[in-house]
Amino acid sequence: MLMPKKVKYRKQQRGRMTGKAWRGSDLSFGDYGLKVMECGYITDRQIEASRIAMTRFIKRGGKVWLRLFPDKPITRKPAETRMGKGKGAPDHWVCVVRPGRILFEMEGVNPEIAKEAMRLAAHKLPLKTTFVQRHDVVSTAAAK
Amino acid sequence: MAVATFDAVVATPREGKFNKNAARRVRVAGKIPAVVYGAGLDPVAVTVDPRTITKILHSESGHNTIFDLNVEGSALTKAMIVDWQNEPIKGRLLHIDLKRIAMDKAMRVSVPVQLVGIPVGVKTQGGILEHVLREVEIECLPGDIPSHIDLDISGLELHGAIHISDLPHSGSIKFLGEEDATVAHVTVIKEEAAAEVAAPTEPEVAKKGKPEAAAAAAPAKK
Repeated sequence: MLMPKKVKYRKQQRGRMTGKAWRGSDLSFGDYGLKVMECGYITDRQIEASRIAMTRFIKRGGKVWLRLFPDKPITRKPAETRMGKGKGAPDHWVCVVRPGRILFEMEGVNPEIAKEAMRLAAHKLPLKTTFVQRHDVVSTAAAK
Repeated sequence: MAVATFDAVVATPREGKFNKNAARRVRVAGKIPAVVYGAGLDPVAVTVDPRTITKILHSESGHNTIFDLNVEGSALTKAMIVDWQNEPIKGRLLHIDLKRIAMDKAMRVSVPVQLVGIPVGVKTQGGILEHVLREVEIECLPGDIPSHIDLDISGLELHGAIHISDLPHSGSIKFLGEEDATVAHVTVIKEEAAAEVAAPTEPEVAKKGKPEAAAAAAPAKK
């Protein structure tokens, strides 16, 4: 699973998820992408499941970029524990995403294959997403 | 050449305040705030129709299109879109920067590189084409700006690369990027190893204070 190699502090407070993704909201590497339309947490397991779903579907036919990294630790208290006695132990890692953020990018495949791969990946995620592509790719595909 | 066949873009000068609230009111009215500058003249805050601008940005010559700009109350000038901001969710235009163009003065622009053909490395050798540099920066006269640079990649083999030096050079265009910068290459996707079962559950926590080597080198205080 994805997680940071080194951190400054083991535990974090929850923070706020207001606003839009003013950074990381454009396609930077590939021709196609998956954009998230609402805010929330995406866990390391969900990212890995999406990546596997995409790469299995495209069968070495294209390249995939992950544009998110789970760098926020989430803690859990053990089961059947009374409240208090401090914050729980780190349990897993999440990435905080805000609406507009590009989660994955893809290149080297047809638009139909990319769309289907992104649909499979989106089914592994807890948030509403949409498929995006470069406008010049749309015109090239239409010309073909 | 990127000179447009578009009608003149009409821009209305903005009056009053130039804060976020005023910009929001402009957008609610169906226009977008913009600024016109360049050619040694004072900048002017204006409003323009976003549909006209979107049409220009999505045209064949894209943001390098040179069009007539009619700022109400001043003479018709040639202009170009040099910067634009999109809203992250729906992608609507929020603001644009327009630059007045002197047609006899060389300028720096980014031109898209279009790859033509399917490389041999992809067709027969199982590679994947990666388009690394989608735009290259050039310097030329405004009348000589190409809408795009076509690059034939059909002869590109596996692990082969095309650099800026391989792009079709002409006398009127000067490439500004490093000549050995990669434009496109054919690579192989490495098979990723299966996820480790016994992966470490917690990362290393960075220690506070100076690193040990730096602390030892520092002179001891008396």
